[in-house]
Amino acid sequence: MIPIELFILLSAMLFSVGLIGMLTKKNAIVILMCIEIMLNAANINFIAFAATYPAAPLAHIFVITAITVAAAEVGVGIAILLHAYKTRKTTNIDELTSLRW
Amino acid sequence: MVFGISFMEYAWLIPLFPVIAFVVVGFFGNKFKEGGGAIAIGSAVIAFALSALVAYEFFTGSGDAFAPEPFKWLAFGKYELNFGIYIDSLTCIMMLFASFISLLIFIYSIGYMHGEGKRKRRYYAEIALFLAGMLGLVLSSNYFEMFIFWEIMGVCSYLLIGFWAFRHPEGDEASVKAASAAKKAFLVTRLGDVCFMAGLFVLLWAFTSLDFTVLFDPANMATVDTGVIMLGALLLFGGVIGKSAQFPLQDWLPDAMAGPTTVSALIHAATMVKAGVYLVARSYPLFIQSAEVMLVVALIGGITAFIAATMALNNMNLKRVLAYSTISQLGYMILALGAGGYIIATEMAHGDVEATVGYTAGVFHMMNHAFFKALLFMCAGSVIHAVGTEDMRRMGGLSKKMRITSLTMLIGCLSIAGFPFLSGFWSKDMILEAVMEPSSLGLEGQIFMLLFVLALITAFMTAFYMFRLWFLTFKGKPRDASIHCHGESPKSMTMPLMILSVFAVGSGFLIFLGLNDIITFSVISGDFVVGGHGHTPGHILDAILTNVWTYVSLAVALIGILLAYLIYARGSLDPSRLTASGKSRLYRFLAARYFFPQLYDQISWKLGYSVAKGVDYVDKNMIDGTVNGLANSVVGSSGSLRKMQTGNVRDYLMYMAVGLISAVIVLYVLVTTGGL
Repeated sequence: MIPIELFILLSAMLFSVGLIGMLTKKNAIVILMCIEIMLNAANINFIAFAATYPAAPLAHIFVITAITVAAAEVGVGIAILLHAYKTRKTTNIDELTSLRW
Repeated sequence: MVFGISFMEYAWLIPLFPVIAFVVVGFFGNKFKEGGGAIAIGSAVIAFALSALVAYEFFTGSGDAFAPEPFKWLAFGKYELNFGIYIDSLTCIMMLFASFISLLIFIYSIGYMHGEGKRKRRYYAEIALFLAGMLGLVLSSNYFEMFIFWEIMGVCSYLLIGFWAFRHPEGDEASVKAASAAKKAFLVTRLGDVCFMAGLFVLLWAFTSLDFTVLFDPANMATVDTGVIMLGALLLFGGVIGKSAQFPLQDWLPDAMAGPTTVSALIHAATMVKAGVYLVARSYPLFIQSAEVMLVVALIGGITAFIAATMALNNMNLKRVLAYSTISQLGYMILALGAGGYIIATEMAHGDVEATVGYTAGVFHMMNHAFFKALLFMCAGSVIHAVGTEDMRRMGGLSKKMRITSLTMLIGCLSIAGFPFLSGFWSKDMILEAVMEPSSLGLEGQIFMLLFVLALITAFMTAFYMFRLWFLTFKGKPRDASIHCHGESPKSMTMPLMILSVFAVGSGFLIFLGLNDIITFSVISGDFVVGGHGHTPGHILDAILTNVWTYVSLAVALIGILLAYLIYARGSLDPSRLTASGKSRLYRFLAARYFFPQLYDQISWKLGYSVAKGVDYVDKNMIDGTVNGLANSVVGSSGSLRKMQTGNVRDYLMYMAVGLISAVIVLYVLVTTGGL
């Protein structure tokens, strides 16, 4: 049995990678990928706790829901980005500013 | 019960009809003949008829004060303010003579104000409201309600004194004077009203209610500190000083002569200034709680009576002389009420107090004065209407052209001077007797002795200046050829004069026909009783006719009349010898009204203006400074905070991440150090 601390550590590292990527990267696709990494870091956390405390089945449901929502989110996000790329010829978020004040 | 109906239940209708007349005339007056004057008269007729029915029902009833459960108006915490009616014998007398005299004045106005054109509408609306104010005031069941009507009268007096502020029959200068007189009347009485209001606060705080039934209950009074009642009573008396033009706020009343003469008659006889005396009579149970308050009341009354009479001595304006005489007579009433109350206050500790002659004399004189002062003013109005001036130096010899006016005015003058068996004689002698009564009470007794001497001198001066006025106006030769007398005034003006002169002669006899049991105040087994049983007619007659001072006062009055006759009718004494042709110091002092106008000016300029400046400084620098400083600091801090809003999502994310990390660190530190 792998101790739970290692899972939590892995999850924290993944989350940090995603966070740093989100804060530093300019390409919207990379940012979307970073969000996915962060989501999955959270999912790993859920699963690890579910495995350690099997009496609580709720964690699985959370994870499945999170995966579903993430899939939908990526679908919508990529669709927006594709459209933005078609009209603006860029995916750099610093240039996609026409809706900002 | 009259005709099977209890009219006392419907007494609230009495002030309502004049209010309706006010609204109707105010909006639609010009659609009627004479600017709606008939409607105002009609409302006064109804008010008088209802008052008579209510009074009849009251006097044939049990004699207890009628105070139905009042309408609850405002209640906050334990305090409550109500609206209701309170009828006792004082109320009945007040509303009877107020509505009756107002009715006569309204009728007289039809003739007097005939030439005013479209502005008659305003006039009739305002006098109707004035009457409503007075009737509402006397019917009020608590001080707060009373205060509302008191203020309505204040507004009406302002509007009516300034009636000619836009277009005066004597030119622009007079209209400017009318405007400033109206303002002065309003502001000076306002000073008294502020005192009145402060008194109401004190009483409300002490009694948690302002209803007469609560305030005049000895059981409630026992729970309140006498010092508080004393303070409340003195502050109420401040309102009286303003409204009834007592020393030192007396100066607005002579200026108020700038209004139409009918308005002066209304203010002086039926309403307004009588409200102040009524307030003292109504508040007697509170006032008699301390002898000091009553001493103040008597002193103010005595001083007012004296100085106002002196100012009337050398005035040449017909209406002004009457105004000073009103102030002086009001001083008499206040003096009588104060002296009578002083006796009760000192005797109450020993048990029951019989009906006091002071209270009876004060209220009796108020009623008599209403009749003869209304008569005098309306006669003066008739003269002014005929000759077009108020300056007595330009009149003279009018008795041949105006028989009715000169005769009725002679009756009025005799009555006010205290000529035997006319109304003024009875009440004035009762007042003198009332002032004499407490003079045996130690040190304060000597003050009353002094007040008695002042009152006696005042009686002399009253006789003198009233007959000076009458001789100057009606006797001798016409002194100014440019003045053309139009002859006697129309019927609508002379009829009220004749009716009133009957009362000026006869109203004094009412004291022997039952009035002695109506206007009394006694303390019976700790209870305050208004009405009931007073001195018997025989006792009053006996007291007046066997008192040596009656004959002294009669003698000084006759000497006053004789002196006036010698100086102004026979011309055997030259007044300019006495006054050094108007250059003597005393003459100028009196003509300048004891420099009271200047005193008011000085006080309002020096004190009022510097206070206003101080307030202005605090307002501009401290209050505005605080508000502006707060606003500026908010604007500055928000300006710097605004810069955090870059609109860049990654910046926000950064803040979130930093916040999260620092929260984790803080938690970690707390957990590891055992702080949590």
